[in-house]
Parts: sequence; structure tokens; C-alpha cells
Amino acid sequence: MATLNESRASEAATVAAPATATAGGESVHPPRRANHPRRSSRRRRRWLGLAYLAPALLIYACVVLLPAGQGVNLSFYHWDGITAATWAGVENYTDFFTDPTLRQAVGHTLFFIVFFSFLPVVLGMTSAALTARKDTRGAGVYRWIIFLPQVLTPAVVAVVWKQIYAPDGPLNSVLTAFGLGGLTRGWLGDFTWALPALGLAGTWGAFGLCMVLFAAGAQNIPNELYDAARMDGAGPLREFFTVTLPGLRGQLAVALTLTLLGAIRVFDIVWLTTKGGPGTSTITPTVVLYKRAFSNPDVGAACAIGVVLAVVALIVSLAVVKLSESDD
Amino acid sequence: MISTREKVFNYAFLTLLAAAVLFPVIWTLGIAVSPEITGSLDLGHMQWSNFTEAWQQAGLTQYLKSSLIITGTAVAISTALAILSGYAFGVLGVVGEKLLFPLMLFGIMIPLEAIVVPMYYDFQSQGLTDTYQGIILAHVGTGVSFGAFWMRAAFRTVPSSIGESAQVDGAGTWSALWRIYLPISRPAIVTFVLLNFMWTWNDYFLSLILVSDPAHQPMTLGLGAFSGRYLVHVNLLAAAAVLISVPVVGLYVFCQRQFIRGMLSGAVKG
Repeated sequence: MATLNESRASEAATVAAPATATAGGESVHPPRRANHPRRSSRRRRRWLGLAYLAPALLIYACVVLLPAGQGVNLSFYHWDGITAATWAGVENYTDFFTDPTLRQAVGHTLFFIVFFSFLPVVLGMTSAALTARKDTRGAGVYRWIIFLPQVLTPAVVAVVWKQIYAPDGPLNSVLTAFGLGGLTRGWLGDFTWALPALGLAGTWGAFGLCMVLFAAGAQNIPNELYDAARMDGAGPLREFFTVTLPGLRGQLAVALTLTLLGAIRVFDIVWLTTKGGPGTSTITPTVVLYKRAFSNPDVGAACAIGVVLAVVALIVSLAVVKLSESDD
Repeated sequence: MISTREKVFNYAFLTLLAAAVLFPVIWTLGIAVSPEITGSLDLGHMQWSNFTEAWQQAGLTQYLKSSLIITGTAVAISTALAILSGYAFGVLGVVGEKLLFPLMLFGIMIPLEAIVVPMYYDFQSQGLTDTYQGIILAHVGTGVSFGAFWMRAAFRTVPSSIGESAQVDGAGTWSALWRIYLPISRPAIVTFVLLNFMWTWNDYFLSLILVSDPAHQPMTLGLGAFSGRYLVHVNLLAAAAVLISVPVVGLYVFCQRQFIRGMLSGAVKG
């Protein structure tokens, strides 16, 4: 939630939400309430509010809360989806250490974090720092293009990259043209190269979001800070570390949260290109989850993966937010 | 002051980035109109009939119908619920808000993967798998939290003096919502509808799990099935991919600002 908060403060225009509006559960009530003497009418309004909320709450409880609870419960059982479930204790969780496929998948996640999170953030930050403060004519067009991968259908993105990496695809043509014909291969069918190939597709997909986010943030850094830095004789590098980077801390938190969550949840592009293969060389926890849940079902094991993903996701978001606020 | 040299560098750099982002997309567009079924680029003999051919071979009419039904209904219901719950949290206040609001926020933070497996078995036992109702319900339910959060923030920016003047007029909460809050918050609602449309249209994971009957699957799954076929014609596959992207990319052409702003502030829907 602080994620939403941070970025909304930076992108003030759409709804111009006050930053305080989202600061945690205990809301800052507008003064209107305090000035209102009639307690009973206020109480009535709040009951009315519950009535307005009721339909959303009901659906939310059925579709999200109930399955979330069931997921935690099921994760302690062995269940094939049909016959009676048997108690498993924490076995489904210890799978993370003992099951070779799952261990491999976790390893791939760490690998993907580099490509889906660190690279896009670093590249996005660098590009934004290099370009954002200059008055670029046509900046809107560039932004449109660079942000485009965000709105493309993941299923389509998978088709796109499948063609780029195909044995007779453009990547191999380029390599051949540069006299590197020996390196050509079917990239997504290669045990060693399929994983980094998918990683690069992820970098391509996440980079634009980071850059546009940082560029928007950089617009809000007061020019005086740069002038002051220049007066002090700061070079571009020092300027970046003393002015730009601190000014973008909020955006950095948002970018890290979004891309890290993206990295630990990678599914669509893997499933639609390699299905985790060849062998298990591109398998991810979500692919394992899907396979455990639906082909030859071991539902409890699948739920345990889901629970762990949720816990990791919560920790990541909270940690990033805490880090970004720590020395305010 | 910015020197000419800096300017040239700036443009060169941005153009390079844009080219890197666009290349795979342009390549696919090129393949989509090339005659070669192996997927080699041949723009000398553009074959526009690829699009109709792909449409027929992939059976996109049925998938399009499903996509329209699912996305249209889910977005409409989601928007209505977002407005109602945002109004409750942002303007009226809610009994038990201290508990209910964090409970709602939980839905933004929890990844879909954590709930989708039990959700499948629940839906199966209720006969909701392989139905439009089921996938629509799943989309609506998983989007409720974000909607409440988004519209709450929007309604809270409405100056309380305006809301009070409605009270003085004796307007009920319902007519205050319609006459005052909705018109003022229209930009936020438009952005919400656009984002919601995109997320629902682009969804693959949820539909993959809840809908295995091709007659009820959306276009994203249709594309997946088409690309998974043995001996697929690569140019037709590219053409189908282009066709499926048209609605969202088309909206993105006209509503760039809403998409970018909305996603930068709200891209955490799980």
C-alpha cells in the first residue's frame, strides 16, 4: 500500500490523492467530522457505509479471503484433489530444501531477480538520469514507445520472443552476419541459454516501467539542487549520487517492489515459451505450483508454494518500503 | 544550459533505447505480413490475407466473443464495486473500518498464486469452472481491493465543503454520490476502467486455471493454443498475436497519459 502511496505522490496529477490518504489503516479523518456535533447521524452514516461496502466485501471474502485461508490449511496436507487428504505436517514446506526441482526453481528465481529487477532498475535509473532533466522535444513519443511493453499482452510477448530466439530467427541472423555463425542455436531449446534468454526478455519488459517512473520522479527534483551542486563543482557522477539518487528514493522503492514481485512470480512467458524446459532448465516456482496443482495433482504441495510466495512477496514489499523510509 | 552536443547525445541515446524496445515488436509485425510460413521476413511480398487466414485457423471469433463477454462484464461490475466501496471508505466511513480497511489492503498485497489453487477447487465444487460466471467472478474478486483503494483515494480529494453543502441541501448519500462525487471523480474512474480493461483482457494465468473449455476461453488462451499446435505457421501466429494486441494497444495510443500514470501508481494488482 505504501507502494501506491509513494508513486501517487510523485504522479500527482491523475487523482491528486493526498499522500496522507494512504498512510496505513488508521485514516486521518478530515476536519469535517470533528466539527459535526450530531453523533448519531455520523454513526448512521458509518452503518450506511458498511452497506455500500457489503457487496464488494462479500465477493472479496468468497474469492480471496476464503481461498487464502484454505490454501494455508491445505498446505499441511497431501491431497490429490479427489480422494481424502492425509496429514503432511510441514513436509510440503521442507520440499523447498529437499525437492531438487523446487530447489532448482528457487535458484532460477534468484537468477531472474537479476534480469527482471536489478538490470531494469539500474538501466532505467541510468537512462532517466541521462535524459530526464533535458528539455527533450518529442519526449512523449519516446515515453510512449519505451513504456509500450507494459501494456502488451503477456501471451503476445511470449510469441514475440519465441520468434526472436527461433533457430532461424533474427538473433541468429545477426550473429551470422557478424561472422559468429558458430554461436547460433535455438536459444529457448538450449539447456544453458534458455534461462538467460528468458531473462533478457524480462529485462526488456520491465525496463520501460522503471525508466518512465524515474524520469517522472526526476522532473520533481528542484532545479536549485542541481544548480547548487554545479556551483560546488560537482561532476555529473557526484551530481547523480548527491542529488538525483536521493531525490528518487521513493521511485526506487516502487520500482524495486514491482520488479522484485514480478521476478518471483514469473509464469506467463515461461509457460508459453518453454513450459519450464528443456528438462527443467527454466522452471520457476510458479510453474512448479501450476504443475503440482493440475497435472498429477499434489494440491498440498502446490498450496505450500503459494503460501511461501505470498510470504516472500509481503516481506519484499515491507522491506523495500522500510528501507526507503528509514532515514527520512 | 544545455549544449548542442548534449542534445544530440540525448536524442541518440533515447532513439537507441526506443529502437531496442521496438525491434521485437516491429519484427513481429513484419512477420505477420510476410508470406513465408517458416517466419522469415519478406516485406517485398506483403501478404495481408495472413490476418484473415490466422483469424480463421485460430478460431478467433469464438475467443473474441468470450473475451468481450468476460472483459465487458468484469470491468462493469468491478467499476461499480470500486465506486461503492471507495465511497464507503473515503466519504461515509465504515463501521469496523480499523479492521476492514487493512483486510481489504491485504488483497492488494497477496499474489494471485497464493489463492488460485484453492480457488479452483472451490469453483469446481460450485460448478463455476469452465463458465463465464466463474472467470468473471474471479476477476472481480481479485480486483476488488485495488478498486476500493483507488476510488477511496479519488473521493478523498473531493473537498469536504462540497460534500457538506450537499448534506445541507438534504441530499441523501446516494444522490450525493451521483450528483457530486461521481462527476468530480470522472478522470480517476476513467483511468480505473482503462487499467481494469487491460488487466482483464491481458490475463492469461487466471483463465488458464479456471477455464479449460475452449468455448469459454478468452483470446489470450486462444493464442496459447494456436502457438502450441504442432507445425504452426509462424507468420499466421504472428498475425494472430497482432490481432489480439489491437484493442489494448489501440486504447494506449489514445490514452497514453492515463495508462502510464495509472500503472505507475497502481501496477501492484496481483
